[in-house]
Amino acid sequence: MSDPRRTSARRRIAERRAAEAAARAAALRRRRTVVGGVVAAVLVLVAVVVVVVVQTQRTQTSPAAAVPAGTTDGGTAVALGPDDAPVTVDVYEDPLCPYCARIEAAAGDTLEQLAADGAVQVRYRTIAFLDRASTDDYSTRALNAAGVVVDAAGVEAWLRFHDALFAEQPAEGGPGLDDDRLVELAAQAGATGAEVERGIRDLRFADWTEQVTDAASRAGVTGTPTVLVDGEPLPAEELTAEGVRAAVEGAAP
Amino acid sequence: MTVVRRAQPWLSTAARLLLGGVLVVAGALKLPDPAEAVRAVRAYRLLPEGLVGPVAFGLPVVEVAVGLALLAGVFLRTAALAAAVLMAVFTAAVASAWARGLQIDCGCFGGGGEVAAGETGYPAEVARDVALLLVALALARWPRSRLALGGPAAGVREPARV
Repeated sequence: MSDPRRTSARRRIAERRAAEAAARAAALRRRRTVVGGVVAAVLVLVAVVVVVVVQTQRTQTSPAAAVPAGTTDGGTAVALGPDDAPVTVDVYEDPLCPYCARIEAAAGDTLEQLAADGAVQVRYRTIAFLDRASTDDYSTRALNAAGVVVDAAGVEAWLRFHDALFAEQPAEGGPGLDDDRLVELAAQAGATGAEVERGIRDLRFADWTEQVTDAASRAGVTGTPTVLVDGEPLPAEELTAEGVRAAVEGAAP
Repeated sequence: MTVVRRAQPWLSTAARLLLGGVLVVAGALKLPDPAEAVRAVRAYRLLPEGLVGPVAFGLPVVEVAVGLALLAGVFLRTAALAAAVLMAVFTAAVASAWARGLQIDCGCFGGGGEVAAGETGYPAEVARDVALLLVALALARWPRSRLALGGPAAGVREPARV
């Protein structure tokens, strides 16, 4: 009945229309993908910029931040021994670092003796980068307390407080010594009074703890303990009383 | 072959979840302590000081963004390629620290890049990053996956010709 030529013409038209519709749909999908991609890229870019700005502000410490009296080298060190000692030993340690406590037990007295003899100047650089290894930011609190002690009572008291911190070092992973205990240890070391207690509890030198920790990072220190004898790092196996003594004698002119 | 073809979308889904999960977690862990992030980047001694901050703060955002795209299954091929680039960069950075004898932690999941004396974990870090790089490349090659919000859906053939 029907004209076969008309049928095939209709079919061709229908096919062409379907192809056009498919092409339009594909173009629309492509456009949506492109628009979506551009929007997503812009969002990520904005997020990056916002986070960089926010984090930069969070890490900013006031350049006028209080620095404890009794420290040297821009507040980054507490020095034992004379400034004109022939050898300088820099000791980077974190109050929570277990290996530091062992070094202190093994070689701490030797270093103090060498400093007292005038053979070296020991520059203790206590830093706080193990905050996440305790549940209560112990490194920062202990370092701040040490700052309060040296500020209020001087280097001798600081040294007693420092030794007490390592003698009573808490285990990693749990809470550190609480503020009450830090206040007690400070008093035993010779730093007493309401001002000291407030300084410890209110983190008076919080900005300073960040600054000295950042300074160590800038100096290339990536682990504690790091002991430098005239700037040269002492290998781990030489971090003993004999090792330190030998390194100091070797460095002496 | 058909088994592989049928399993591929699910394998790609698993790859998305693994890679996306790792990236989101790794990025998120670097955000709470920005000072730590700065130290971790600086520890590699690869970047000038002016770039340390922006990289330390910006990179976690990129990680999280790429990770979320992979988890959601949107812009899959782009996200997979971006993840591959990230992993290649991380691998190169860790390998270079290793080769230069630096004593650092990769800081991959937060942390300030510090290690206790002699406790570096370079072989494991490099192996993990290379494995994730391969996963990312495989995902870029076969992005069709199940449980994805966007992209070429698994099981649906290319637009049918009418």
